[in-house]
Parts: sequence; structure tokens; C-alpha cells
Amino acid sequence: MGLSSLNLNEAVQICIFDLRRGQHEGQELDKILFFFPMEFPFSAQLSVIGLCEGIITFTRIFSPDAACEVIEAERHSYVFYEAEADIWMVLIMEKSKDNESDWRFDALRGILKEVHYLFMMFHGSLRALLEKQPSGELARSRLYPFVIDYLTDFYVGKKLQLPSFRDSLRERGTVQMLSVSREVAIEVQSLVTVLGSLCVGNTTCKSVIVFHDLLVSTTLSPEDTTNIYTYAVLRLTPHALSSGTNTWSYLLKGTSATSAAAGFTGSVSDGSQQSSSDASSAGQDQRNSVPRPLQREKWFKGKDGFLTTDIWGAEVGSLVSVLPTVWLRETEENMNLCIYQHKNLTIVILIPACSLLNEQGLSLAKQQLVENAYQKIVNVEEKLSRGWGGENAYHVSGYRYLIIDGDRHISRASPPGKVTTLAKDSLLTLNRVREEVDFEKTRAQRTNPEHEKDFEVCIRAKNNAWVISKVTRGKELHMVLEKANETLLYATETVEKFSNRYCEGAFSSD
Amino acid sequence: MASDPNSTDHPSDVSEPIPNPSHTEEERLASISLEEPEGNHVAVSRLLSNGSSLPADFHAEDEIEVVEEELLGEGSSSHGGGGWREISEQDGEAVPCSPSSSGYAGERGSSGPSSGIEEVDDGVNLQDDWVPRKRHDDEDDASVSWRKRKKHFFILSHSGKPIYSRYGDEHKLAGFSATLQAIISFVENGGDRVKFVRAGKHQVVFLVKGPIYLVCISCTEEPYEALKGQLELIYGQMLLILTKSVNRCFEKNPKFDMSPLLGGTDAVFSSLIHAFSWNPATFLHAYTCLPLAYSTRQAAGAILQDVADSGVLFAILMCKHKVVSLVGAQKASLHPDDMLLLANFILSSESFRTSESFSPICLPRYNPMAFLYAYVHYLDEDTYLTLLTTSSDAFYHLKECRLRIQGVLVKSNVLVEVQRSMLDGGLHVEDLPVDSSRRSRSVSPYSSQENNISGSLRPHMGLGGPAGLWHFIYRSIYLDQYVSSEFSSPINNSAQQKRLYRAYQKLFASMHDKGTGPHKTQYRRDEDYVLLCWITQDFELYAAFDPLADKVSAIKTCNRVCQWVRDLENEIFLLGASPFSW
Repeated sequence: MGLSSLNLNEAVQICIFDLRRGQHEGQELDKILFFFPMEFPFSAQLSVIGLCEGIITFTRIFSPDAACEVIEAERHSYVFYEAEADIWMVLIMEKSKDNESDWRFDALRGILKEVHYLFMMFHGSLRALLEKQPSGELARSRLYPFVIDYLTDFYVGKKLQLPSFRDSLRERGTVQMLSVSREVAIEVQSLVTVLGSLCVGNTTCKSVIVFHDLLVSTTLSPEDTTNIYTYAVLRLTPHALSSGTNTWSYLLKGTSATSAAAGFTGSVSDGSQQSSSDASSAGQDQRNSVPRPLQREKWFKGKDGFLTTDIWGAEVGSLVSVLPTVWLRETEENMNLCIYQHKNLTIVILIPACSLLNEQGLSLAKQQLVENAYQKIVNVEEKLSRGWGGENAYHVSGYRYLIIDGDRHISRASPPGKVTTLAKDSLLTLNRVREEVDFEKTRAQRTNPEHEKDFEVCIRAKNNAWVISKVTRGKELHMVLEKANETLLYATETVEKFSNRYCEGAFSSD
Repeated sequence: MASDPNSTDHPSDVSEPIPNPSHTEEERLASISLEEPEGNHVAVSRLLSNGSSLPADFHAEDEIEVVEEELLGEGSSSHGGGGWREISEQDGEAVPCSPSSSGYAGERGSSGPSSGIEEVDDGVNLQDDWVPRKRHDDEDDASVSWRKRKKHFFILSHSGKPIYSRYGDEHKLAGFSATLQAIISFVENGGDRVKFVRAGKHQVVFLVKGPIYLVCISCTEEPYEALKGQLELIYGQMLLILTKSVNRCFEKNPKFDMSPLLGGTDAVFSSLIHAFSWNPATFLHAYTCLPLAYSTRQAAGAILQDVADSGVLFAILMCKHKVVSLVGAQKASLHPDDMLLLANFILSSESFRTSESFSPICLPRYNPMAFLYAYVHYLDEDTYLTLLTTSSDAFYHLKECRLRIQGVLVKSNVLVEVQRSMLDGGLHVEDLPVDSSRRSRSVSPYSSQENNISGSLRPHMGLGGPAGLWHFIYRSIYLDQYVSSEFSSPINNSAQQKRLYRAYQKLFASMHDKGTGPHKTQYRRDEDYVLLCWITQDFELYAAFDPLADKVSAIKTCNRVCQWVRDLENEIFLLGASPFSW
């Protein structure tokens, strides 16, 4: 059965399925955990998943350790991500005729990774949910609203717009840091120390501090930092709270996302459409109280400076909200979130969940925070604001660049507003070069995981732009120079200058 | 999945001899089953039941491990030139054949002896001492050794019938072939067409040509464009043997079994596939000439032109893969890909060497629908004359033409010069003129006069050129021709040559990107090389340097290479009488 017969012109499809389920005839629907768009008939969903599953099995004949990553067809790209053992996420992108559908597979896979990481942070692993409730109801009921809420950030008008070549100077899954002077750094450090010692029982709290949409400090591992930071920028920062008027952060791309999201709220509860007949009423109740951490406009700033939400519902018989909880990958701990905001400074405090038994505990913590840290917070905010260079703070005239520190999950890039001045051809070429760099990186990793690839490409494109990528000691530099001289040596020197001035010589030749 | 680990029958549909026509694509897709552990058991038990011998699969696996070690470069020096032979002996002695495979390989008459282990480093020049390999007919998709082959090529029909497989017996691969067909058709039924699938180091590339499907499964990390180009050439080679009219057979009978039509042509395909790892013509789409003094090539061209005027469509004089001279009748032009496929067909078929032959062939770029007739005659060990005509009864006329040509070539010493050039080799990076002011006198080692100076100035082989230059390829866009330097140290064994070849291939694909290319310049550095590429309206230059080479001197050196090639173009390219010039 072909897909064309269905006349489904959905440009983006996402499916999540579990290969351990539904392997018997007649039970195939059981393997589907998520499918977008939800209106897709089951037959079409099964057809897509059947192809994916068939190719996964087929590729394992030759490549048992790394099954299918990509299917590239003339009209569609399929990007695979095995989120958990045998649980696959596949993103299917339809190519448009307007020549805009040039994308990077790793960038698209980054979306699948990001949504899964965030899901894990709030709900734990899918496998655990499936084991908890083998009917799959629990997993589906959490997955559906979560992914749909996540996707709202990608809507531009009514169209879902996932990253394309135009985003090749951005890197998902990394944090953007704020550079601060030594003096401010000391102030921040002292604030972090105070936050850590907020005494709740005998435990230490962790914290992530964000100024505007840039990370100031963290006491979490790079992975957990990325997750919390991503969530903060998506939903917690002042920009995020004022619901998506911000356009300069890649995480908040869709400006009219809210309206698009509204369309979903009605239908998400139907998400678990495969609900088997044996779904118990308990399951129903559960579904109704499913927390949707990515739902928009659900966080509010109180007069006391703390952010509150009813996402996690309310305690039975009280009006008090249940505390938001996240799960940290590094320490495998559950932490309660407590968020304080002062002007553009957002402070996410993570309190070990076991230590904070109730609302009273939280009030105590809040009180301590205000008593012990308020003055420091005000100080830090003032100093940061004074040094704040605005959206274009990291613009370097003449350069369009992206620096990635893979080990620390950090990136810095030209402001998006400046990147849009680049010619389409330059961005297309850069996109291809990045695709190649991705390929070389994974290849090197596979051959020898210990050895860090050292690699450099410098292309003068048809439109005379220089497109440059350098990978060295786990760091990457990608750059477009449009108004550069035609000689290779000039381009090299220009990169050298940049590296010496802004990257501590990380990309300079010896 | 569905397979029963205890079953001694073949556990999956994959190996069903004939695809069940009643299965829908979906069912077939669903039935692809992995039998990693079980499959091996089955293979083993089957072999054991045939005799008390060790399972061949296990040995095959050993072989492959050896190969991979060699590829990493450690084994190459110690194994020296005998690499494959040693293994080949092992193959014969240590692995008692199961009845199903005994003697079978030997029946592939002209294929000659070889281990068939892919990517083996025999320590000799890649192109010269290669022998066609036996295909491991005892393997099928359940064999570990088969699955570990680095590069598979398949041709199958749109109904899933196997036509050609590089490794293993096509008939045993019927089930696998059906799986490939199912994947292609499934996507096609959705109104789409699958181009490639990527999984870890593996890439599966698909090419659909009417009723013929071609598939490459490779872990060589060549770019998609390169692998697709190779499938195009394999399809072209098939057309060269059969013409496109074979499609009609499928129109009459979709289940038509085409494999017998290609019987005995294994060596042609395996030699083409081998060329994918050493012959730049396969991705440059250009041909290369044997370096010769201008007057010598003129003399050869003149006599070829003579016969072309007497009703010969193309007259081609070649030495191995290099063109000595070629002429075409008015308005007829020969595509470099056709030349590559024709030369490959002639060079890989033993029968052409032993006697003059007259054989129908099709030039797919010239006219994919029709046969031409090729008169082929070897004038000496390596040099052969090919005369192409549209007339099927021109044998005696062409024989006469050949006699005339041969007479002239002998008289004018062309054949002697050709042999001398073969011995001397082409351009050596060590000979790159140092000072551009002296370049006009540096000239050609190929002029008929002795040139002692250039000979004595040439440093020892193995030093490489100035500024760390190791190798270069220069492609003239108007002439459809390229020239590449001889390999010099440290690119002196076949593993290194192949690696460099693949690096060029990647560079070519990157420069000629479909959406954004061709780019103008590219500089690329990794642990292995510094690569530089220039593309202008007139030429493309690809140069490889020591990875530590200084950028400034490398660029200067590239400019000197271009100047050098231009200075020598009379000797290294076929100019003027070319049928391409208009």
C-alpha cells in the first residue's frame, strides 16, 4: 500500500515506536508510541513505521552495531534516532520544490535528541514507563502532549518549520554562555555558593543561572545543564514568559507559536488514540492529570520574584501546586525546581526531591533564598546589565561564525539577525560542509573514540564567499566570509585573526 | 524476530530461493529477518552435516580480519607482494571444501586464481598486477564473511530476480535480492524513490534504470555521489554488453531471467569494480593519454584518420588504459565513459588477447539502443587497436585497415615509442621544474631526442616533489582528458594509493556538489594530507601534499604544476584531431 494514495500532504512526520512491541500479526498498532500528525490513518502510520522497521532490520545485516541512521529518497528524508534500546524516533521531512529543503541530518537528529532528553528529564525513560504500564497507555499519554507542546516552538504561522540550511550557524543541544569579567565572575561565584548552601535538610542544592538567554553559571553536568538551560530559554526566561516575542534566540524561533499551539490543546488528550479496550479507568485519570511541562504560558512570575505553575497539578484538597520535578542524568536523582527571577536574571535552583517533603519546606527554602541571597542577586544583575551588549553583543564585524565546544556542550555564534544577511548560496555551501564535517567526526569516532579528529576545510564557493570549517581538539569553528579577498592566504589569515582574538588561539595554526 | 533459533531450516524468508510472488512488498519488508546468531548456527550446522570439516565461515572470517589489519597499514610491509597468495593457499589447504562448494570456484574458467578478499594489499601497483578474483560462490547472505565484505554490488530485475552479485552465487541470493526489490518498490509505491540508506559505516545506494535495479552496499565511506556514479558505470557496462533493448524482454515477461545473458562476463564487472579504487577516469569522466612526443602521436593519428575516412566510426589506439590516439568519423564523438567501459571490456576479456576479434558492443553514451561492431587486435603485449563500425559484415575490411595501420605504426616507430613511454612512466612530481624562468627548457622527457639533463636531475624515487607535493591530477575541461602524476613516496603501496584515490574522490564530490558547486577553490587538511583543488573554466587541479606542508609554498607549487602541465600539453594530451573539439 502506498502513501500517495492517501493524499497526505503533511510536510513533517514524526513517529516513535518500540520494536519490542506489536510483533504479532494483528497487534502491530501496539508498537506505535507516537505519531505526528495525529490525523494520519493507522494504515498510513503502520506503512511508514513498516518501512522504517524493515530498513532497520535490513541494515543490521551489515551493520549490527549501528542500524539505520538516514533514508534519503527523492522526495523525503528520514532521520532515525534510537532514543532507547529498541525505541526509535524517526523524523520524516518532505522536500519542497522551493529549494529550501536542504538540511543537515545531524541537525534534524538534534531535534529528536532534544525532545527525548527533555522528556526523560520530566518523565523518566520511555522504557520505564512501558514497564510500569505494559499497555503503553501511560507512555503514550505522556509522550503525546509532550512532543506536541515541544513542536509548538517550531511553528511559523501555521507551518511547522524545522531547521534547514539557514540554521547552519546554530547548534542545538548546546548552551550559549555569557562572557563576564573577572570581577563579575567572583560575584557570581559567591552567589552560587550561597545558593548551594540553601539549607534543606543536609543536602546541597544545585543551580543554573541564566541572564537574558545566556548561561551565566551552572553546578550541573554539561548534559543536565543543557537540558535545564534549554527548558529555561524555552519557558522560563523573561523572554519566554512574555510568550515568544523574542526572535533572536534559536530556541524561540516561532513568533506566532502560541496561536498554533492553541489548536493542539483540544486534541492532545486524544493523543493516546491506540488506547486498547482494556485501558482502565485508572489510566483515564492518569491521563487527565498528565503534567505538560512544555505547555506554553503556564509559568507565572509572582510578586515575590518566584515563578509558579500549575503544570504539575495541585495537591488533593488544597490549592497549592505540586512542585515541578526533574530527573538528572548525571546523578540519577529527582530534583524539585525552584525558580527565582530578578529582572533579566533567571535562577533555577534544584533541590533534591527527597529533602523537600512539602510546601512548607519550599517556603522555608524560598525564605532563606530571599534572606541570604537577595542582595547578591541584585548585585549580580546590576553588574551583568551594565556590561550587557544586547542581542548583537557577540557580533564580530565581517565574520559570520559558529564555535562549538563539543565536550562542554557550549556554542557561540553570530547573532541570527546578522546571519540572515548571508547569501543563500553561502549558507547552502556551509550546510554541505557541516554535513561533511559531521560525517568525518562520526567516522573518526567510530574508528578510534580516543582520538580527536583534526580537520580543516576551506572552500571558495561559486559566489566568491569563503566557507571554512575547522575541527580541532574537540572544538569546531564554522565560518562564512563573504567580503573577503580572493586568495586562500587572505582567508586563512582572517580566520587566524579571529581565532587569536576570540578563541584564545584554539583554531590558530602553530 | 520471527525466526526460531532451534530450527535447522533456514530461518528467514531472506534466503528463500524464489520470492513468493503473492507476497506484497509490505509482507516482504516485514519478513526481513535478522539471523545474526541463528543464521550462523544454521550455516555451521549445514556445513557440518556435509562432512566433519570446520565450518568455512569461520575461516572466511579469519581472512577478513587479516585483510582489515593489512588495510590499517601494519601488515602491508611484512606481507609484501605475496599477501593474497598466502591467504589464497590457506584458502585451499586449511579449509576443506564442503561438497556444495568444492571445485565450484575453479569452474569459473577465465577468472584466474585469487583469494577474492577485498581490499587486500598486495603491495604492488593497484592497476597493473590485478587479477580478476573468484567470487566466493560458496557465500550467501547468511555467511559472516559475505556480510563483512566491504563493498557489494548487485544488479537485479524489477521483479526481484538476481542478475549479478559481486560476491556469492546469485541464485543463493534470490531471497536477499527480493528484499532489495521490496525496499525499492515499497518506496516507489509511495510515489517516491529511495536514493540511499546510511547505517554506521555502511551506505546502501540504490539506482533504478527502468526494469533494472542496481544496489551498492559499502562501508568504504565513499560519498554517495561517487557510489552512484559507480552504479551508473556498472549499468553502462551492462548496456555495453547487451544494449538497452534488453528492456523489451521485461516488457514481454516481467519475470524474465536476465542472468544467463551476462554469463561469462564476471571478469568484466569485477575488473570495472576494481577500477573504482584506482582509476580516476571513473569519477573524473575524462580519459588519459600515454605521454608521447607530439610527432609520434601525430603519426599515429594520421593513419587512424585515414581509416576513419573509409567508413570506420571510431579508430582507437590504446595502451592498457591510456590512449595513444583516437579519431572519429565526422560528427561522431566518443564520451570518456564509453571509452572507459570499452577499454575495460577489452582488457578484462582474455579472448581479445589471443586472436583478432570482431564483437558486437554498445556504447551507452553514444547510442544505448544499438550495437556497434568492434574489431579488436592486440599489436603487442599492451597496445591494442579498436575499430568500431556500424556494419556487422565489415570484419574483412577492418582487418585490412588494421594491417595498414599496423604497417605504418611499425614503420614510423610508434609502437617502439609507446613501449618506451610505458617503461618511463608519466609525470613525476620530482621533475617539477624548480624555477619558472627555466621552465621553457625543462621540457619533455618524451621528445624523441635524448634528454639526459632531465634524466640525471631527477632525484631518487621516493622523495616526493617540492614543498611536500606528493601527487596531482590535472584535468583539462575542453579536452575531456586528465593527466595524473606517477605515485611517489610515501604513496608507494596500493593501500596508500587507494586511500589517496578515495581522498580525491571525496574532494571531487565536494567541489562538484550538485546544489552549490562547482566551487572555485578548496583547501583541506587532515591527518593524512593537505589537499588543494582549483577549478577554473579551463582546468581542474587536484593536488596532494604532506599534511605538514606549508600553505604558501603549496599554493606556489600548484601554480607551477599548472604551468608545467601547460608546457607539456603537446606530449601528455591528445590535441587537435580530437573529435570532441566541436
